[in-house]
Amino acid sequence: MSIFTFRKQVCYRIFSLFGNVLISRHRLIPKLQCSSAAPQNCVLWNHGTSDFSRISGFPFSTLRLFSTQVAVEPSTSDGLTVEGILGNRWTILDESESDWRSHAASIAQSIHLIKKRLQWKKLMMRLELLSVELNKADLWDDPAHAGKINREHGSIMSKIKEIMAFERELLEHIDMIKLAREENDTELESESLSALLTMRRNSKEKELEALLSGENDSCSCYIEVQAGAGGTESMDWAAMVMQMYKMWAQRRGFKVTVMEEMPGEIAGIKRATIKLDGEYAFGYAKAEVGVHRLVRISPFDSNKRRHTSFAAVAVIPITGDASTHVQISESDLRIERFRSGGAGGQSVNTTDSAVRIVHIPTGITATCQNERSQHQNKASAMAVLQSRLNQLEMARQAQINAQHTQSLSDITWGNQIRSYVLHPYQMVKDLRTNYEVSDPNSVLEGDLDSFILNYLSISLDKDGDES
Amino acid sequence: MRLSIGRSYLVAPHCVKSSRLISSSSSKPQIPLFLRPPNHSIKLTDLHKWYNWAKTLNSSVGSSFVDTDNGPDSTLLNRELKWLVQDAVEDKSVSSELGNEIEQNPKLGLRNVRLKVGIEELYRLWKQRIDERRPFQYIVGCEHWRDLILSVEEGVLIPRPETEALVDLVGKVVLDNEALREGFWVDLGTGSGAIAIGICRILEGGARVIATDLSSIALAVAGYNVQRYGLQDLIELRQGSWYKPLQDVRGKLSGIISNPPYIPSDNIFGLQAEVGKHEPIVALDGGSNGMDDLIHLCDEAAVMLKPGGFFAFETNGEDQCKLLVNYMENNHKGRFCNLKIVSDFVGIPRFTTGFLKEAI
Repeated sequence: MSIFTFRKQVCYRIFSLFGNVLISRHRLIPKLQCSSAAPQNCVLWNHGTSDFSRISGFPFSTLRLFSTQVAVEPSTSDGLTVEGILGNRWTILDESESDWRSHAASIAQSIHLIKKRLQWKKLMMRLELLSVELNKADLWDDPAHAGKINREHGSIMSKIKEIMAFERELLEHIDMIKLAREENDTELESESLSALLTMRRNSKEKELEALLSGENDSCSCYIEVQAGAGGTESMDWAAMVMQMYKMWAQRRGFKVTVMEEMPGEIAGIKRATIKLDGEYAFGYAKAEVGVHRLVRISPFDSNKRRHTSFAAVAVIPITGDASTHVQISESDLRIERFRSGGAGGQSVNTTDSAVRIVHIPTGITATCQNERSQHQNKASAMAVLQSRLNQLEMARQAQINAQHTQSLSDITWGNQIRSYVLHPYQMVKDLRTNYEVSDPNSVLEGDLDSFILNYLSISLDKDGDES
Repeated sequence: MRLSIGRSYLVAPHCVKSSRLISSSSSKPQIPLFLRPPNHSIKLTDLHKWYNWAKTLNSSVGSSFVDTDNGPDSTLLNRELKWLVQDAVEDKSVSSELGNEIEQNPKLGLRNVRLKVGIEELYRLWKQRIDERRPFQYIVGCEHWRDLILSVEEGVLIPRPETEALVDLVGKVVLDNEALREGFWVDLGTGSGAIAIGICRILEGGARVIATDLSSIALAVAGYNVQRYGLQDLIELRQGSWYKPLQDVRGKLSGIISNPPYIPSDNIFGLQAEVGKHEPIVALDGGSNGMDDLIHLCDEAAVMLKPGGFFAFETNGEDQCKLLVNYMENNHKGRFCNLKIVSDFVGIPRFTTGFLKEAI
C-alpha cells in the first residue's frame, strides 16, 4: 500500500474518531440546554464563540454547546484515552529510548499535571459560569464588566483549547503508530515516534507554563521588603533580602527600579520597594510573599553571639485590568513632602524631594524619594499607591467570587516561609515545601528559581482537583 | 510634542574639556554631565575607591550643615553621590555594583568602566560639594524639575520644586478658559527657562511663549534647554529687564508668569551656603522688603495683559502674598479680579494669582 492511500485510511479513522466525539457530545445536549438562556440571545453568544465553533469544525449550530463540548474526552479509534494511558502504567523510559508507550505515558502524565495545575475542574466550572453570564441579555449594559467577562472567557477558552488539542494530537499519533505497525510502514512509524518525542519535550515546557497561569501572573510587580524587630541586625538582613531579589531579577532579565529606600541608621534598610518590569514577574515573585528568617553570628555584636532576624516581603502586581483599577479622588489624598523648614522657595536649595502619599479612606500609603524631581517622586508614589489599592480591590472581588480565589498570593505580609541559617550549619529551607539547599550564599546571590518553582508546583499540585 | 532626550544630542558641538567644568565667563552653555561623551576609562576598583572616599567625607558631615544653615545631612549627600555616579558612568549597572557586589566579588573590580569625566575631576567635584558647599545641581550641570532635565550652571538660578506648581496653575487656568490657551504668554526672568518650557508644553503648542532675562548666561542656558526640548519655534528668548523687551506685545498678553527675586536684602547674608555663596544674588535679592520687583511686575501687568489675561507670581511667603493682593486692590482699584493666594506643597502661601478684568 502506498503512503498516500495509507494516509487516507488514517484520515478516515481519525474522522470516525471525531464522529465518536460528536456522538458523545450529542448526548450532553439536553442537559445543557436546560441551564442555558433564551434563544434570542444567540446573537451575543455567537459573538463570543464563533471562532471556537469554526476552529473545532463543529458542524451544527447549537451555539450554547461550546462550554461543554470541551468536556468530552478524546480517545483513539480503539477507545484509548489519556486517562486510560495513565491507568496502563506503562514504564516511562529515558527520552532516548524509542518506545512509543514510554513517550505516550510521559506525555499523558504531563497533561495530567498541567490539568491539575490549571485546576481543570474549577476552570470548567468557571467557563460554564462565564458562559451563563455572557448569555445574559443585559450583559452589555455595563461594557466594562462585559469586556472583562468576555476577556476572561476568551483566555480560559484558549487555555482549554490548547490542552485539548495537545491531548488529541497525542492520541492521533498513537493511532498513526498502531496503523503503521499493522501495515509494516517503518517510515511512518518513526515519523510518528519522533513527533511523540517532540511532544514529550514540549510538554515539559507546558508544565512550567501552567505554573504561571494565575490571573495576574504575567504582570510586572513591586517587591517590598521591611525589616522586622531587632534594629540594625534586622535592617542589615532586610538589605540582604532586597539584594537577593535584585540579583535574582537581573538573572531573570527583569528590569529593576528602586522606588523607595529608607536606610537604617547604622546599616541596612528599614524598608524598600523595587519595581520589576517583565513578563511573569508577579507570577514568580508572588511565591516570595512572607517572612524570611535569618540565623547567623551577628557582625554587629561585639560578643559574636548568634542572632535571629526577620524581614517581611510583600509583592504587588501591576495590573492593566480596568475592572480592578480604583479611581482615586484627589480629595482622598494627603500628600506629604519633605519640609525644609524656614521660608522655602528661593531661600532653600535641597535635592530632597521625597513624597509620601496617604490614601485617607484606607490608610494605605506610598513613598518615593529616589527620583530626582518632586514631580516624578509624586508620580512614582501615585503609581505604587494605585497598585496597592488595585490589589485591595482585587482581593475584594476575589472574595465575592470565592470559587475563583487562588490559595496563593496572600495579600498580607503572610507567615514565615523560609529560614536561612548561616551558623552553626549552613542551610536554606522553605518551610512550606520543606525544600532545602545547603549553600545559603548562592541563594542570597539570587539563585531562587528552585525555591520558587518548587513552591509553585507544590501549592498547585497538592489538591487533587483533577481526578 | 514630547521629544525624547537623545543622549547624543548636543546643541553646542564644541568640545568641553573636563578640566573646565566651571566657567561662568563663557557665553556658551555648559553641557550637563550626563549628556557628555564617555571619553574616560577607569578600573572599577578605582572608581570604588573614590566612592568610598566620598562616602567617608559625607559621613564626616553628619548633621553639621543642618545645624549651621539647614543644609544637607550625610544621608542626603549619599543620595546625591549615587546620582553623580549615575550621571557620570556610561553603564548604569555600575552604580549598583559600587554598592554591594564589588565587596562580595572583588574580581568585578578589574573591569574597565567608561566615564564622562576623569577620576581626578570626580575627586575635585566632590571636594567642592563638601568643602565649598557647591550646589549638587551645578556639579552635575543639571536639575531634574517636573518631568524635565534642565541644564544649569553658575550664574543661573537652580529651579526650585515649589516653582513646579506655577506650571500646574497655568494648566488649570487654560482648562477652565480655553481661549487663554492661545496668544502670547511670558516668563519674566526666565533663568534656566524652566517655567517657559513647562508652560509651553502644558499649553500644547497653542501659544507663543516669550521668555526674558537680563543675564546673557541665563539666556544662553535657557536657549540650550529650549533646543533640547525642541521648542525653539514656540519659545522666543529676549534680553532685557522685565517688560522692557516686550513693548510690541503691550496689552496683548494672555498670561504673565514670573518667579522674580523676592528675598529681603537683610536675609541674603544668612542664607544656606549652597544658595548664598553660589547662586546669582541678582536672582534672589528683592530689595529691602523683597518686593521691589514684585511691585513693578504688578504695576505693569495692568497694562501688559489683555483683558481677561492671567498672571501668577511666586513670592517669599504669606506676608508678601497678602501685601501684593492689598497693593493690587488699592493701587489698581477695579483693574484686577479673582485675586488669589495659592499655597505651595508644604502649605506656605507662595503664589499670588489673578486676572485682568474683561473690558466692559
